[in-house]
Amino acid sequence: MQVKQDLKHEKGTTGVFRKEKEGFNPFKMAQQQFDRIADHLELDEQTRELLRFPLREYSFSIPIHMDDGSMKVFRGFRVQHNDARGPCKGGIRFHPQETQDTVRALSMWMTWKCSVADIPLGGGKGGIICDPHNLSEREQEKLCRGWVRQIARDIGPVRDVPAPDVMTSGQHMLWIMDEYETIMGGQYPGLITGKPVELGGSRGRTEATGYGLIYILRELLKEMKMDITKTTAALQGFGNVARYAAELFIQYGGTIVSVSCWDQTENSTYCYYKKTGINLEELVKITDRFGTIDKKQAEKLGYQVMPGDDWLTQDVDILIPAALEHSIIEENVQQIKPRVKVVICGANGPITPEAEDYLEKKGVVVIPDFLANAGGVVCSYFEQVQSNQNYYWTKEEVLGKLDNKMTDAFYKVWELSKRKKVRVSDAAYMIAISRVAEACKMRGWV
Amino acid sequence: MTMETTMADKTDFTKYQKKDDQNTAGIAPNGTMIHELKERVKELNCFYRITKIIRNSKLSVDEALQEIVKVIPPAWQYPEITCVRIYLEGREFKTDNFQQTNWKLDSNIIVDEKIIGVLEVFYLEEQSQANEGPFLTEERKLIDAIADLLSKFIEERRIKEELERQRQKLDYVEKMMKAEGEPLAKIRSDEKKQDWEVILDLLAKTDPRTLLRLTRKMAYHLYRMENEKITTLLNKITPVDNDSAAVNWRSVNMSTPREDLETFLSIQKQVFEIAKESIPADVISTLFANWMMQDKARPLLLMSQKTGIPLVEIAAELNRFFDQEDVETAISLEDLMSIKTALIRRFFAERLEYVNVAKTAFELKDFLGIVDHIVGPAQGAGKLGGKASGVLLAEKLIREEMKRNPVLKNINFPISWYITSDTILSFIHYNDLDEVSHVKYLDPLEIRQEQPFLEQMFKSSTFPFEIVEGLRKIIRDFKDKPVIVRSSSLLEDNFGYAFSGKYKSLFVPNIGTEEQRICSLMNAIMEVYASTFGPDPIEYRRERGLLDFNEEMGILIQEVVGTQVGPYFMPTFAGVAFSRNEFRWSPRITREDGMVRIVPGLGTRAVDRVGNDYPILISPKRPNLLVNTLVEERVKYSPRFMDVINTETGMIETVDAVQVFKKYFDDLPKINDVISVHDHGRLINASNILMDIENADIVITFQHLFEKTEFLEQIKQILGLLEEKIGVPVDVEFASSGNQLYILQCRPQSQSQGIERKPVPKDIPEDRKLFFTKRYVTTGNIENIEYIVYVVPEEYTNLSKREQMQRVAKIISELNVKLPRRKFILIGPGRWGSRGDIKLGVPIRYGDINNSTLIVEIAKEKEGYIPELSFGTHFFQDLVESNIRYLPLYPGQEDNLFNEQILFDMENKLSKVLQGYKNFESVVKVISISDMLPGGTLSVIMDGEANEALAYIKPADHLTWRTMKIEEIAQALDPDLYGIQGIYLIGSTKDGSAGPTSDIDLLVHFKGTEEQKDKLMAWFDEWGKKLAKENKERTGFDTDALLDVHIITDEDIKKKSSWASHITSPYQTVRKITLKKGI
Repeated sequence: MQVKQDLKHEKGTTGVFRKEKEGFNPFKMAQQQFDRIADHLELDEQTRELLRFPLREYSFSIPIHMDDGSMKVFRGFRVQHNDARGPCKGGIRFHPQETQDTVRALSMWMTWKCSVADIPLGGGKGGIICDPHNLSEREQEKLCRGWVRQIARDIGPVRDVPAPDVMTSGQHMLWIMDEYETIMGGQYPGLITGKPVELGGSRGRTEATGYGLIYILRELLKEMKMDITKTTAALQGFGNVARYAAELFIQYGGTIVSVSCWDQTENSTYCYYKKTGINLEELVKITDRFGTIDKKQAEKLGYQVMPGDDWLTQDVDILIPAALEHSIIEENVQQIKPRVKVVICGANGPITPEAEDYLEKKGVVVIPDFLANAGGVVCSYFEQVQSNQNYYWTKEEVLGKLDNKMTDAFYKVWELSKRKKVRVSDAAYMIAISRVAEACKMRGWV
Repeated sequence: MTMETTMADKTDFTKYQKKDDQNTAGIAPNGTMIHELKERVKELNCFYRITKIIRNSKLSVDEALQEIVKVIPPAWQYPEITCVRIYLEGREFKTDNFQQTNWKLDSNIIVDEKIIGVLEVFYLEEQSQANEGPFLTEERKLIDAIADLLSKFIEERRIKEELERQRQKLDYVEKMMKAEGEPLAKIRSDEKKQDWEVILDLLAKTDPRTLLRLTRKMAYHLYRMENEKITTLLNKITPVDNDSAAVNWRSVNMSTPREDLETFLSIQKQVFEIAKESIPADVISTLFANWMMQDKARPLLLMSQKTGIPLVEIAAELNRFFDQEDVETAISLEDLMSIKTALIRRFFAERLEYVNVAKTAFELKDFLGIVDHIVGPAQGAGKLGGKASGVLLAEKLIREEMKRNPVLKNINFPISWYITSDTILSFIHYNDLDEVSHVKYLDPLEIRQEQPFLEQMFKSSTFPFEIVEGLRKIIRDFKDKPVIVRSSSLLEDNFGYAFSGKYKSLFVPNIGTEEQRICSLMNAIMEVYASTFGPDPIEYRRERGLLDFNEEMGILIQEVVGTQVGPYFMPTFAGVAFSRNEFRWSPRITREDGMVRIVPGLGTRAVDRVGNDYPILISPKRPNLLVNTLVEERVKYSPRFMDVINTETGMIETVDAVQVFKKYFDDLPKINDVISVHDHGRLINASNILMDIENADIVITFQHLFEKTEFLEQIKQILGLLEEKIGVPVDVEFASSGNQLYILQCRPQSQSQGIERKPVPKDIPEDRKLFFTKRYVTTGNIENIEYIVYVVPEEYTNLSKREQMQRVAKIISELNVKLPRRKFILIGPGRWGSRGDIKLGVPIRYGDINNSTLIVEIAKEKEGYIPELSFGTHFFQDLVESNIRYLPLYPGQEDNLFNEQILFDMENKLSKVLQGYKNFESVVKVISISDMLPGGTLSVIMDGEANEALAYIKPADHLTWRTMKIEEIAQALDPDLYGIQGIYLIGSTKDGSAGPTSDIDLLVHFKGTEEQKDKLMAWFDEWGKKLAKENKERTGFDTDALLDVHIITDEDIKKKSSWASHITSPYQTVRKITLKKGI
């Protein structure tokens, strides 16, 4: 049933996915981006050919007995973009209308992300075409197990390591791990990441992304000769990333003047501002589990409540968009105060290319998302390392190692950006791509 | 002051008593008749028992007589003071209480024309004089008849003994002669008179009416056995001769001539002769015994058939009936059915569908228990109302099923009391509030204004004494439990009328002294009464032509199920279960899979939508298909608050459910069924006793209840059972004390709020149809839609940047604020609210669409592939709670129609509504319906039952628009500022004949100065222009000003000038417009 597909350039369709004929195509965009950097790097044609497309694409059928006894066949897939530097790493998505090009783009993006953080992993992505809203838990379990049965030989701790993604959770990962271990006849906690600590997960996981971002910011400020204790920042969001970023930034002596959040009850976003800096602890206390800050109580505590978009217009040194994509766009980028020197992206894709161009002209340093929020994937890597060794580190150990990794990664990028006089995001891409290209060369693939 | 009140109360009490006495007097004739009838039954019973004793051949004469004296006293008027003695040839047989007194009735026992004994009946105490001392003529007849019976019995026994002796002799002879003997025995039995014949003889003497009944029954019995002779006999009595013109003529205009008594006697004789021939003697005896037993039900039967029979009498008769022995087994099925249906009609409902189900479900004995829990005017004939009838029937059906179905064996029902529907009338009369009956004919605005006053007036009134005492009984019965007072009106019983939620239901904490408790219970009842005259139900009745129905309000009082923890009293959980799912969150769920809305604490938050909180929804037949699959969704859409009764303050409070659960974790039964712990992206059952409850992240999921208990199975079976038996989809309210599940209410689902079914209109011209679909339709109607926001699927997919798609979401979000609230619908490609892959649908959030009224998802087929739609899953529960409907549309499929061209032909108003989105005009279309049809609106009729939905353009309703505008004017106008006495509506808008250009004619009764007049006219002028402009936008017609104002003064009224005559003349009608009173 399993079909291992060779690469078919240009025509490369498998028939599994809906065809994308026109309009927005994420894969095409990813390829264009790659081509631009490849030009910078003056990559040879063969290497480009290899890296513009995934190395392997698997697609297969997963027949399932539904709860009502009927039979239904689902489509499963896995795209391995590149594993020259190490086993592929990437999420498993449940999505009712998954498109081939989306998955290809995402797997390519994973390759660059792992590479820029300098961890020995490649890029992959996969999933099952389904809407979990229409499936019972039992049916979802069968799907996960069915997925593993079809692909078990081509994934594994030393080959391809899945993780939770859109509409999948730790529970799905545990089913996948269990089925894999049953097939392989052994304990392989390193097959997946995103596990609970009791079953081989890593400590420090919740903090990783937010802390990682601040480690980089700390080093950047040193380079820019700015005293972190004298800097102020405005945060967009109040989720996991924003909260831990704020925690560490304040620990380092910085001042966060505002955070913003989505108000569940009022269905709109608000920005909470305090000139002297927020007190994270008191804000967390009045925040419900959905990340909504209690407006009235915040006012009582002396916070000024402003429209959600106002985070952008604060007179601060640093902006940290850590919630939504496309937050900084052509239309609002000019509202950013001249004092702002750094924009460091916690969320995925918060700045549009046009807005980034504008900021570059104004001399604002933009740290791109795939470098700034790489803390998450680095921690996943640590989880995998620990699982493979069957030896688990303390939280301090994890965060210490994370600091080293992020700091190293930043300096490599920063140094290149200075040397080649390119913007940080381009430098990051250049490093990521050249590392992969180098590995391919060393292996004699091109 | 106190003295006066007490005095007043006393007076009232006597008044009531008098009333009562009069009433009793009024029904006396009936009472006497029934009393007599009962006496006859007593006599017959006595006969029957005597016959039974006599027939027992094992008893000797002496033994039999000793038994007989015991059964005689009950047949007398005062059984408890009656004693009996039989004196027979020197032997005495008497009752235990026997004592000779002066009040005696006796009759001789005569055998062979010789007096051999005497039967004596004595009264132990003096009684009032009747025909023969204290004895009745009937009793004289009776004692003679019994004496006669005894004489015959003794004679028979003697003959029998003689015969026995003869037989023994014969046997001896037979033995001697061997084969030559004659079978004499046969001849002997022919000679003997059967005991049923003895009864007949007796009846002929004492009770010809009963005899007549027996004759009829026997004739009918024979007829049923297809006995030819009886058929011939019956034909003889009522000849059917088709050829005879005379007969035909007679049968048309005259009744059959009455047979005279002689004929009747002869017929009777013939009937029993036929019987004797064709039916064995012992069978006849058994038949007689049964028929006479059945007569025990006669008083009840007769009583139940009468209309308007008072409550007390029914209760008394039921009690009397059941006091008799083996009465239920003896009563004939026909009689039973007829009594039951009569009682069902009397107490529950006349509606045939109901009676049909109820008559087989209820047993006669059930009424005994129900009557015991009814409070109402003793002489009243009120019913229990719709809600009470529904819940009683459901309870009965479920209880019956519980006997054989182990799954349902633990279902419970709350203690319930019923107040009859006519109590409200007696309350109104008692307090002289009779003028309220015309409230329903008032103008809606006036009703709204009067309502608070009416409620106060009701609350300051009192109940008649008998009702207060009834309520006292109720309070005592409920002990310390909080109770809920529910409306149970007569109209609530009717199918198709969604009265639920229109009348009030109120909690009573039931705390304080007994008087305080009664007082608060009365307050609650009065408030429910006042809601009968509330603007909403009256408006609802007006719309449906039910205004003239004589609405009465019954009351259902139920205990609140639950546990006391700290100051709070609450069920562990409660909710509503529907046998039809009108909110399907997945195409795999069908309407028939049902739906449960469940919340922690009181069920109020499940019954009503609360907007800022979410009940848990689950389908009992599809428990695995959750509304929210992902952990974060399940956490987000979990209930956070609950309603509880604070028994210290006596108030309903909304509390933070998780906090209360944490605080009283160990006191609340089965709390682990309700909650889960959110831990590292997983929801785990909270059953671990080692858990640190204080610091755990508690989420209310009901996970354990759904997965590990029988709850959903029980609900599924109850819904199935009730739907099957009642024959329509139902909804059921339930609550659980943790350990036990209680069923609180049951009614047809069509009565549930907001899901009244309306069939899709069939006569809409094709060019007026916007779309039509036959897939995944749920019930609901959306009307008066003014705008359509259409995101063109092809254009949306063609957008080349993610950012542009985000921009479309932003446009929708801004339109959501700019367009009139709840007057627009959204139509767009694929999955509204798509995240991640936003190509699949506009990536809006709930807050970006929360003012719309319907969202439509379009699945256009592409290369043989139909995209899967979201069914609103991204914010499904938000849609449900804010009543935004969802509809999937499959253009190009044969059962679907989407007239997209209409939308393209119209002007796109996007750039008029919002600035700066010129580039997006090809993607987002904002269409005003009045552009398609001046003044028109869009209606979307969704009929889930037929699984079809239609959106069509509805022509302008000029009247509604004008009426709305008049209300706006009334709100804006300050009468004091302009010196206005009153404003009246006349002309076409008042008559209901307004067209697109009609003026609104107003008469202003003016009392102010010239200056005020000028100001006022200027004010009206401005409004007139404003309305004309709006009207032009609506209809396209130009008018100068839409208001035509005529000023009249007191002088005009005096002179009866032409305009003033509108107010003064009795032939002209005007509608007074209620103005805001002062500012």
